[in-house]
Amino acid sequence: MNDHPHSHDEPPAPALPPETPVDAGSQALAEALRSSFAIVKVVMVLLVLLFLASGFFTVGPQERAILLRFGRPVGEGEKALLLPGLHWSLPYPIDESIKVSISGLQQVNSTVGWYAVTPEQMLAGIEPLAGPTLNPIVDGYALTADANIIHTKGTLVYRIKEPIRYVFGFVNASNAAQNALDNALLYSASHFKVDDILTRDIAGFQEEVRRRVTQAVEKQDLGIWVEQCAVQSVRPRQLKDAFDQVSTAEQERGKLLNGARTYENQVTNKASADANSLISLAQSERVRHVSDMAAQAEKFLKILPQYRDYPELFKQQSLTETLSRVLTNVQDKIFLAESPDGKPKELRLLLNREVQKPKPEEAKP
Amino acid sequence: MRRNPLTLVIGLLLIVIFGLLLFTFQVRTTEVAVVTTFGKPTRPITEPNLYFKWPWPIQKVWTFDRRVQNFEDRLSEGLTPDGFALLTSVYVGWKVSDPTAFFPRFAGSADPIAAAEARLDQWLDTAKKAVVGKHALADFLSTSDNGAAFLGIEKEILSAIQSQIQTNNLGLQVEFLGLKRLQLPESVSQSVFDRMTSERKRLAERFQSEGEAEAQRIRADAERRAAETLADAESKATQIKGTGVAEAAKSLAVFQQNPELASFLFRLNALEGALKERSTLIFDQHTSPFNLFGAGSTNLLNK
Repeated sequence: MNDHPHSHDEPPAPALPPETPVDAGSQALAEALRSSFAIVKVVMVLLVLLFLASGFFTVGPQERAILLRFGRPVGEGEKALLLPGLHWSLPYPIDESIKVSISGLQQVNSTVGWYAVTPEQMLAGIEPLAGPTLNPIVDGYALTADANIIHTKGTLVYRIKEPIRYVFGFVNASNAAQNALDNALLYSASHFKVDDILTRDIAGFQEEVRRRVTQAVEKQDLGIWVEQCAVQSVRPRQLKDAFDQVSTAEQERGKLLNGARTYENQVTNKASADANSLISLAQSERVRHVSDMAAQAEKFLKILPQYRDYPELFKQQSLTETLSRVLTNVQDKIFLAESPDGKPKELRLLLNREVQKPKPEEAKP
Repeated sequence: MRRNPLTLVIGLLLIVIFGLLLFTFQVRTTEVAVVTTFGKPTRPITEPNLYFKWPWPIQKVWTFDRRVQNFEDRLSEGLTPDGFALLTSVYVGWKVSDPTAFFPRFAGSADPIAAAEARLDQWLDTAKKAVVGKHALADFLSTSDNGAAFLGIEKEILSAIQSQIQTNNLGLQVEFLGLKRLQLPESVSQSVFDRMTSERKRLAERFQSEGEAEAQRIRADAERRAAETLADAESKATQIKGTGVAEAAKSLAVFQQNPELASFLFRLNALEGALKERSTLIFDQHTSPFNLFGAGSTNLLNK
C-alpha cells in the first residue's frame, strides 16, 4: 500500500535510490503533492460513503413512505407503504422516497351548504345572527326538490384503500373527496322535499348522500373506502318560528289523536262489557224462566188431584192463604168502606213522600 | 508509481454518478415531461422511468404535474328559461394529458397550472350559462326523477367543456365535473323565505284541522261500534230469552190437564209477586178477606 519513502529511506538507501531527490526543494514539492493526493482520496471515499448514506431515511410514527424506483412506485396497494422505522434506498436518480401522512382514518367536512360561521363561533356553539336574506357569497345553502332553502352539512370518514392512487393520482385527494361530498349533499337535496330532509326521512336523506358520495369517489377512482357519512340539516334560521309552529301543530295533532284513541278504547271496552253482561243476564233469565215453569208444572201436578176432589174449597183456601201472606208484606193498607148512598168515595193520597231507592209499586187487586 | 485499485474504483464511481446526474433524468409517476432540444419540444414523456438526455444547453427537460388537479370555479349567474336566476359553481378534476400540446401554451407562464385553470374558468362560465339557459328550475330540483336531470345537467356542462378543450388542443383532460353550489340571488332568497313561511303556516293549519277531523272521526267511529255491539248483544239476549220461553212452553202441556186451575194458580203467583215490595193497598168491602167487614159477613158472625 505504501510507497511513501519519506519515513524509511535510510535503511534501503544503499541498495536502490530510484528517485532520490536531487535537491531539498523538489523533495518538498513531491512530499506536498503526495499528501494532498491523500486528502483528495479521503474526500473521494467520504463522497461515495455520503452518496450511499444519503439513501437512509426514517419514517416517523404518524407517517408512511413510498419508494419510487426510476419514478415508478415499488410494490402494490398496502404493500407499497413503508412502515415507521429506518429504511434504506438506492440514491437518486435510481430510488426516491416520498413521505406521506395517510395512516388511519381520514375525515373531510362539507360546509358548502351551511351559513357563514366563524371557527370561534363554531367552538363556542353560538349561532351567528341571521340577516333577513342569505348572501350567496358567504352563506351556503342547498335547494330542495320543492324549491325551499335548507342548510345542510356533512362529514365523510374514509380509509385509504389504494395509497399509490390516492397520493400519486391527485394533487389533493382529500379536497377531491370533499368536493364529492359537497356535490352529494347538493344532489341529494335536489330531489328530497324539505320535510323529508328535516324530519320525515332523515335517514333516507343521509343514505342517499352516502350512496352518491360512494358512487362519486368510485367513479373518480380516489382509491378510498367510505367508512361513514354523517349529515346534519337544519331549517333556515330566519324561519325558526314558522317551522316551530308546524312542529307544535304536529305534536298537537298527535295529542288530539291520542286522546281520541283513548276515548275509543274506553267506549268500545265498555260496550263489549255491557254486551257481555246483557247476554249473561239473558242466559240466566232463560234458565230461571225454564226452571220456574218446570217447578210450577210440578206443583200443579201435585195439587191437581186435591183440586179435583174439592175445587171450590181449595180455591178459597189457597186464595186466603196467599192473601194473608201478601198482606203482611204490604206496607200501607187502607180499607175504604162503601158509602151508604152507593156512590164511590173520593180518596186523596200523597204517595212517595220519601224518595225511595227501590221502586215503589202500587197495586190493586 | 503503482496505482491503487481502490482509488481507481472510487474515481470511476464518482464519474458514473456525475454522468448519471448530467445525462439522465427521472420522470416520476406523478409527472409528465417534455424534452426540448434548443428550445423546441422534441420528445414527450408520459411514462415514469429513467431517461437519457443531452446535458444543458443542448436539451432541457420540462416536467408538469400529471396528477388530477382540483379546480373550483367562481359562483356565476345564469338565467333559466322559466326566468329564475341561478348561481352555480362547479368543481372540476382535470390533469395534463399531452405535454407536447400543453407545453407551448402554458410553459411560458410562471405557473402553468394556474394559467390553464384561468382558461378553464372562462370556458366553464360560458358553458354553465348555456346549460342553465336550457333547463327549467324543475330540472335542477325535482322529486320525480330521482335526480337524473341533475346528473344530466352536470354531464352537459362536462361535455361542453371537453369539446372546448378538444377544439383548442390544450393537452388537458377533464376527468370529472360536479355542481358544488346551486344558489339564488340574495334578493330572491327573501321571497323564497316568504313563500316558505306561508307554506309552513298552511302546513300548521292543515295539521291542526287534520288532527281535529281525525280525532272526531275516531270518536264517532268508536261510538258507532259501541252502539253496534250493544244492539247486537240486545238482539242476542232477546233471542236467548225467546228460546227460554219456547223451552218453558213445553210445560204448558202439563197445565192443559186443567186450564182453570192453572190460570188460578198463575194469578195467585202474580198477585204474590206483584205485592212483594213496598206497596200500598186500598180495599173496599167486596174484597176477600175484607168482605168480612161487609153486611153479609156480619150476619154470619152474628149467627
